This record gives sequence, structure tokens and C-alpha cells, in this order.
Amino acid sequence: MHRKRVVLGVAVAAAAATVLAACSSSGSSSTSSNSTSSSGKVTLSWWNNANTQPLLGVFTNIIKQFEAAHPNVTIHNVPMQNELFKTKVTPALRGNSPPDIFQQWGSGQQATQVQSGKLADISSDVSPWIGSLGTPATEWQTNGKWYGVPYDLHVVGFWYRKDLFQQAGISSPPTTIAQLESDDATLRAHGITPITVGSKDGWPDAFWWEYFAVRECSQSTITQAMSGVSLSAPCFTKASADLDAFMKTNPFQTGFLGTPAQSVPNSSVALLANGKAAMELQGDWDPGAGAGLTSDKNLFSKLGWFPFPSVPGGAGDPKAVLGGGDGYSCTTGASEPACAEFLQFLTTPAVQKQIIGAGVGLPANPAADSDLTVSAEQDAAAANSAAPYIAEYFDIALPTTPGQNLDNAVAKWFASPEPTGSAIISSVSAP
Amino acid sequence: MTAITAAPPAGARGQRQRSSSWTIMPATYLMSIVILGLTVVPLLYVFLDGARSTAQISASSTALPNPWVWSNYGQILSSAAFWQFLGNSALIAGVATALAVGLGSMAAFALSRYSFHGREVIFTLFICGLLFPLQIAALPLFLQLQLLGLLDNQFGVALPEAAFSLPITILILRPFMRAIPGDLEDAALVDGASRLRFFAQILLPMCKPALVTVGLLAFVTSWNQFLLPLLVFSTQSHFTLPLGVSTFQSTYSSNTAVILAFTALAAVPALAVFIWAERYLVAGASGAVKG
Amino acid sequence: MTRGTAADAGLTGPGAAEDTAAPGPGAVRRGGRFVRSRKLRKTAELSILLGPALVLFLGFVIAPIVIGAYYSLYNWDGLGPLTHFTGVHNYKIAFSDPAFVQAIEHTLLLTGLSLLIQGPLAIGIALLLNRDFRGRSFMRLVIFAPYVLPPAVTAVMWSLLLQPGGLVDEVMKSAGLGGLVQLWLANVHVVLYSVFAVLTWQYLGFGIILLLAGLQGIPAELKEAAAIDGATPWQTTRRVTLPLLGPTIRIWVFITVIGSLQVFDVIWLMTQGGPAGASDSMATYMYRTGFQNQAFSYGTAIAIIMFLFCFAFSLVYQRFALRRDTAGALTGAVG
Repeated sequence: MHRKRVVLGVAVAAAAATVLAACSSSGSSSTSSNSTSSSGKVTLSWWNNANTQPLLGVFTNIIKQFEAAHPNVTIHNVPMQNELFKTKVTPALRGNSPPDIFQQWGSGQQATQVQSGKLADISSDVSPWIGSLGTPATEWQTNGKWYGVPYDLHVVGFWYRKDLFQQAGISSPPTTIAQLESDDATLRAHGITPITVGSKDGWPDAFWWEYFAVRECSQSTITQAMSGVSLSAPCFTKASADLDAFMKTNPFQTGFLGTPAQSVPNSSVALLANGKAAMELQGDWDPGAGAGLTSDKNLFSKLGWFPFPSVPGGAGDPKAVLGGGDGYSCTTGASEPACAEFLQFLTTPAVQKQIIGAGVGLPANPAADSDLTVSAEQDAAAANSAAPYIAEYFDIALPTTPGQNLDNAVAKWFASPEPTGSAIISSVSAP
Repeated sequence: MTAITAAPPAGARGQRQRSSSWTIMPATYLMSIVILGLTVVPLLYVFLDGARSTAQISASSTALPNPWVWSNYGQILSSAAFWQFLGNSALIAGVATALAVGLGSMAAFALSRYSFHGREVIFTLFICGLLFPLQIAALPLFLQLQLLGLLDNQFGVALPEAAFSLPITILILRPFMRAIPGDLEDAALVDGASRLRFFAQILLPMCKPALVTVGLLAFVTSWNQFLLPLLVFSTQSHFTLPLGVSTFQSTYSSNTAVILAFTALAAVPALAVFIWAERYLVAGASGAVKG
Repeated sequence: MTRGTAADAGLTGPGAAEDTAAPGPGAVRRGGRFVRSRKLRKTAELSILLGPALVLFLGFVIAPIVIGAYYSLYNWDGLGPLTHFTGVHNYKIAFSDPAFVQAIEHTLLLTGLSLLIQGPLAIGIALLLNRDFRGRSFMRLVIFAPYVLPPAVTAVMWSLLLQPGGLVDEVMKSAGLGGLVQLWLANVHVVLYSVFAVLTWQYLGFGIILLLAGLQGIPAELKEAAAIDGATPWQTTRRVTLPLLGPTIRIWVFITVIGSLQVFDVIWLMTQGGPAGASDSMATYMYRTGFQNQAFSYGTAIAIIMFLFCFAFSLVYQRFALRRDTAGALTGAVG
């Protein structure tokens, strides 16, 4: 009998040992898994979401170009699909050998990740050149220090089918909400679904609500709300009232609550790409996302872009845009100058041109704006550059948990809209 | 009714079954057709859509392939990545199944045919493993595997999978083993064999149907596992089949037709294993439920 | 089975046999030393048999769960240090969140529906398919196939089939049922039932196979004896077959309830618990508000609550339902 107890005791001890070790690993200092060897060779692991063509090929080429210019640096490409990527990043930052370079979207989300202590402060490396990227790049600052660098930018606006507008006799895109509503009615009268939205995924709903907020609230109100993690200002309630009134005009497709945003054949972008709807409020990636879902070879020439209309009496600037971007951070274990050099390399005009060629977004470096191939994209880029300020998507501007709560609350509101939006307001509070 | 129930004695059993069956048989066949329809049609749909292009599917979700795009299947079958994923899945499922069945049968034997203090407590402890969702253990498990140096390593997936399969393995095997008559064990001991030898050479072969049952369950569970491989693997060449689907999805788009073709092909090995194990499956489960 | 249970006692069964049988190889030692070495031997055997499984299980299942449970007492986002101890705060928040309460209701509803609808359906189909007929093996394969499919495939497939204008709608229209067509996955009042239908499609086969196995364990002689006594097929089924199927049904109920309380994969991949939480189960709520939102402590607290539901059911069920099976029908039956 006592032998069995010993065996059990050993088993418990083994388990306890792993428990204690796991707990203590959170406190241990991270040792670099890529320390420079005595010969000066550096290896950097690069986690990004470019897991399919064409961007996968573009990145592979970029790596070769960089390694040719920096013979002592080897970059290990680790692409993975976007949703998988997001699931893996947090445990990796928690553990003791995170990737050297990884993708993140700046702003409040970056601030959350900075808490892990694993993000490297690269201010001294980037300050000589980061100014050339303009204001949008400042989203990758936290507490005044640089923790990341963008490589592309995104802006949200209306993508519309010029052919369907023509069919309904609409000569030019709307500039006010009232005009938008009347255009919707005209389209419906011609049997065309006016606007498509991928409500199932939640974040397209957030675009709608956030744009009304950007139109109703002044820039400083929004900045304060994001940093103070509170939507108590009255303009946010007005945003819900505006959106509620707009939705009562029945602008969306049938069954919009169950329509995903992209990727799949029954998504909202597929509807737009196949001419089953006339407009969609989405980011600049929409043409690319739609191209794969239709056999229409002339899709790009049929698409136009216009900014979110103005809202009467709103305190926000009608030219302000909602947007964001993709960027990369270095972690503290990575070899510093090499990592920052690579991030800079990605923003040089020649490399930006290659990235833009893959159709993934607007360039982070304004010098590459003219390289955009889809003409409607150039309209979006121009609006982005001319915007007095860019409001970052709220779920990125806020810390991660309240940001996600906001998306969930707006999605829920979409199923049963009402003018106060109190559930949306209360979903955002400091963690 | 009386014609059917005024039955001739057992010797004419075959005849009696036939005459009662002509009210039941049509119902059986009708039921079979309905089940076939409900089950097979969706599966066929997956297979057919795998032979269309994503653009075709977007244009109309219910049309037949026009033209037939066999290149989806061709592309997958000829890609080294698919066979790599298949190999990884097979290796991991094989190891996890072997461990779960091996260790589980030993534990079930101890828990069914020995008596000792704390036996029921240990059994309940194993059952508790069934009652937790995997996600709760995900982050701590990740840290643990990192500590043990098992990340990006097939064993980092196979070992936890085996561990999580132990409860259902023991749950099913224990009553089955208990049902083996004690006379056999006594006889073996009288002949000088140890209880362990009895286990290995007499009991296990008798339990083959049950072992195949739990093996099949462990195999299918491992084959379809997604979260654990996701946490453990970063290098694409180590991915298992469920993760492999993600290689056809990018941030903004996924090639649905190829994904459907891929999933149709990915299900084939699991179905093949089931076909092979099917004849044991029924006999195996019956031991568990009737003792 | 008295010999069997005596063998279970370890000491008295085989030992008694050895004492009274003619001395065979290795059976000769007697007395105190003999008893002690038998004890040691039994302990050694138990260690070998039980040890590896226990170590694997404790290390990779129990340890992470315990650590995870520990996290639930904090307010932690998985990234910073573990400093903000909040005790049972997370649990209080959970129960005061109407979305979570709704998720609990949905889960209990799904569990109830599974028992009420899948149960009789599985039993009925199993009874019908219990006869020997041509194509029986093929039918068994077809029935079980959905269970083998990865939930991801099921979700993608049914999402396409259930979309507006999809195959389900087309079939219903051509069958003249066009008026019954709904927005299967977009209508908040319908989506939970659509999800239940898909879950039934995936898991019914497992239940049928399990029950078929139980049916085949019932000796045909008993049914014939009833028939000879004048019972109709229906009476035979009710009075003879179903009671003997009892142990199987009770195991099926246990597995189904535990599985329903934890249902996640199919729902998440089809609807993410939406729209607006209308198809949320406890597990999808946990995943979305906990892990996806980086609120790890909260997610773990929800998982612990789910465990408590399962544990409570398991205790009650083992006490009242399975007890009689382990005591009598399960172990006492002639193997």
C-alpha cells in the first residue's frame, strides 16, 4: 500500500513541479532566442499575416532584398492566417521566447501589449526618419515612445457600383445623409439593394456607428474618450440616435444580421462584387476582397469611392476619416538595430510599391500614393491624406478588452436598434 | 395480428421473423432512405462545391458545377503541403491513440479488477477530466509545453491529446473489463501466470472490440483537434489538416471552393479508419453497456 | 460472478485458490511473509498499471485546469503581470450579465431538446435498423459519417446550405413548403433551433450506433419467448426490449448531457453565438467575452461555472441513475 502512496506522491510532485515552474516562468526575464553570435550573425523571426499569395510572394522577395543588403542578417518568415495569428500572439508574448518581429495594429491595442514588457522601445532608432511618414504613424507611439512602425494604412469609406448608380439614374454620389437616404430609396425603386453590410462579423457594424460618432463628436472629444476609456460624452448618444433613424429607412440587404463581411461566397463584399448591391461601407481592402469572389473581370473599373456623408449639426469635421493600418513591433529579445532597420526598409518607396502592388492597403509612406493601381483606391488615399485628422477604429484605439466589448455591444444593438444606445455606451469602461 | 403472434416454436424461427417483418421492413427501408438523403446530400454538396470555383459559388450557391473545376482537387492532391499535413495528422493521431489506449487500458484494468483504497476517488478524478472545456486549460497548457520544450513538436500535441482522451477510454473500458469472468483470471493464476501477464496475454485479446472502439474515438478526436495544434505549431510545415485549411484563407478572402475540396479530402482518412473499425465498433460498445 | 468479485478483493480470491489448489509452480510459499510479499506485489502492479496514466493525466489535464482556475481569481488580460486579485468578482460579474444568463438558458434549452428529440429519434431508428437487412453495414457507415466530420466542415457546409436562397430554401420551395422558409441563421428567434438541427445532424449517428450496440446485446430468445406468450411486437418492445436497453440509454443520456452543456465548435464556427448572442451557449459566450477579448480571468471563471454545472449533474446522475447499473445490470449480467 505505501508503495502505491509513493507512486501517487511522485505523480503529484511531478504535477506540482510543472505548476510551480509555469507560474515562475511569468516572472523570469526573457532570454533572447536570437542573440547575436560572436560572428555578428543575426536571425530575426517575423510573424505576419501574409499567408497567401500575392502578398506571401511579395514578402518573400522583400526578405531576399533585405538580406542581400544586410549579409549578416537572416529573416525567418512565419506567415499565418489572420485569425490564427491573433490567437497565438498573446500566449507567445506571455511566454519566454516571443517572435522577434510581429504584426500589430497600434494605438490602444499596442498599449495593452506594451504591458507585457516584451515590446522594444525603438524611439532612438526610428526618430531620424519616422517623421516622413506623417501623422498616421503616430498611432504606433505609446506614452510618447515608439513601439512599432506601420507599413500600410487603411481608411474606411463607401465603395459603390458606378454601373448600378447609372442604372438607377443617380448621377453623383451623396454628400449628406439625407441625400444618401434618398439615393437608397431610388435604388430600391429600381429593384437594387442599396447597401450591404457584413453584420455577422460585428466590426462592419462598428464602422457604421463609429462614423456617426466621428461626425457628431469633435476631434478632442474622441481623443479624450479613447484615452479615458469612456463614451459618456453626449455626442455618442447622438450617434446611436442618428444610426437608428438611418436604419429605419431600410437601407440594408435581406438577412444582413447573418451575412459575414468577406472571404466567403455569401459575404457582403461578394454581394457588392457580383452586382447584387450598390454600396458598402468598408475599408480600402474591399476591391481586393471582392475580386476573388466574382468572375467579373471588370470589377475594378466598376467601383467608385466616396467619403462618409456629413451629418447636420455634427461637431466633427466632415472630412475626418476613420481608419487604421498595419504595422510591426520588435520584441525585447530581438537584435535591435537590425530589427529597426528592417522596419524602415519596409517603408522605403521601392518596397512600398511592391506591397501596394499586392493590393492590401494604402501605403504608409505618402510618397508611394501614386503607385496605387485601382483608381478608386487613389480617391481613398487622397481623402486620407487630405483629412484634417484620422480617427483610429475605436476597437484598436481603446485597450483590447473594452474595444472588443464595444464591437460586441454594437453588433448586439444592430439586431434591435434603439435611439439611446445606452448598452453601447456602458460597454466601454476602464478594465 | 394473431396470424403473426400465434408463433410456431423456436425451430421455425426464421419463418416467423419473415412473416412479422413485412410490416416492419418497408418502414425500415423508408427510414433508411430518409436517413440517406439527410446525411448524404449535404456531404455530396461539399464534394460537388469542391469542383466549382469560388466565383461560381458566389454567383449561385445551389447550381451544379459548370464547368467542372477538377483543378481544385488536383491542386490539393499534388501539393506537397497537403500530404505533409496528412502525415502530421496521422502521426499525431497515431501516437495519441496508442498512448490513450495503452495507458487507458492499463488504468481501466487496475480500476476494474483490483480493489484498493481510493479506487473510486481516482476513477472520479478521471471522469472529472471530461467535465472541463479544453479552452480553460489552453493558456496554462501552452506555458507548460513551452517549459518542457515541446512547442512546434508533434509530441507537444500528442501527449495532451492522449491525456484528454483517457477519461472516455477508461469510462468505456472499465465495465467491459469488469465483465470478464473471474474464473479465467483464477485459472491463469493457478497456472502460475502473474496478473499482469493475464492482463497482457488473455484479457486484452478478449477486449479487442472494446479496444478498437476507444481507439477509434481517440483517433477521430485527435484527427479533428484544432485548438491544441494551433497553440503548439508555428511553422506551417508542422500543421495538421484542420490547421491546413487556413493556408487557403487570407486576411480578407478565402478560396471557398478549394477549402471545400480540401475538407472533403481531409475527411477521407477518418472515414477510411471508421470503415476498417466498423465491424468491431458495435461489439465493442455493447460490452460497455451490458456489462 | 462471485468468483469475479472475489478476485477483485485481491487477497482472498487468487490467494485462496492458490492455497487450496494442488501446488503448482510458484504457488508454494505460505504464511506471513507470503501475505506481505503479495501486498507488495499488488502495489507494484498497481503502480505499473495506474502510474503512467495518472502521471500523464495529472500533468497535462489536472495541472493546467488547476492553474487556469487560479487565474480566474484575478483580473488578468493574459499579458501583464498577475497582480490584480479580485477573488470571486469575476463570478459575480458573470451572473449579473444578462448575456451570460441568456447563454445559460440557451444551453439548458439545447440540452433539453437533445434529450427530448434526439433520444426517441435515436431509439426509434435503432429499433428499426436492428434487423438484419441488406445494406445494414452501409447504413451504419452512412449514419456514423457525420460524427466523423470535423466540426469546421459541418459548420462551413451548413452555413452555405442555410443561407438565404441556399439549398435548404430551394428544396423547401420545390416541396411546396416555400411559406415556411426563414432566415435560418439571421433571424434571432430561429437561429438557435437551426443550430440545434445541425447539431442533431452531426451527433445523432453516434447515439444510434451506441443504442444499436445495446440492442444487439439483448438475446433474441427473450423476444421470442414474449412472442410465444402472445405479445405483439409493440408490447415486446415496450416490456422487454426497452427495459433491457435501459443501461445503454442511461449512458447515452450522460454523454449527451455533458456534451450539450459544453457545446462549442459547431455553434462558434457557424454563428459565433450570434446574431447578437441569440445562439450563444455557455462555451461560445466564454470564448468570446473571455479569450477573444483577452479577458482571460473572466473566461476562466466562466469555464469553472460550466464545470460546476457538469459536475453537479454528474454527481446527481451517478447517484440516482447509474448506481443501479453498476450494482446490478452492468456488472451482474452474463457477459
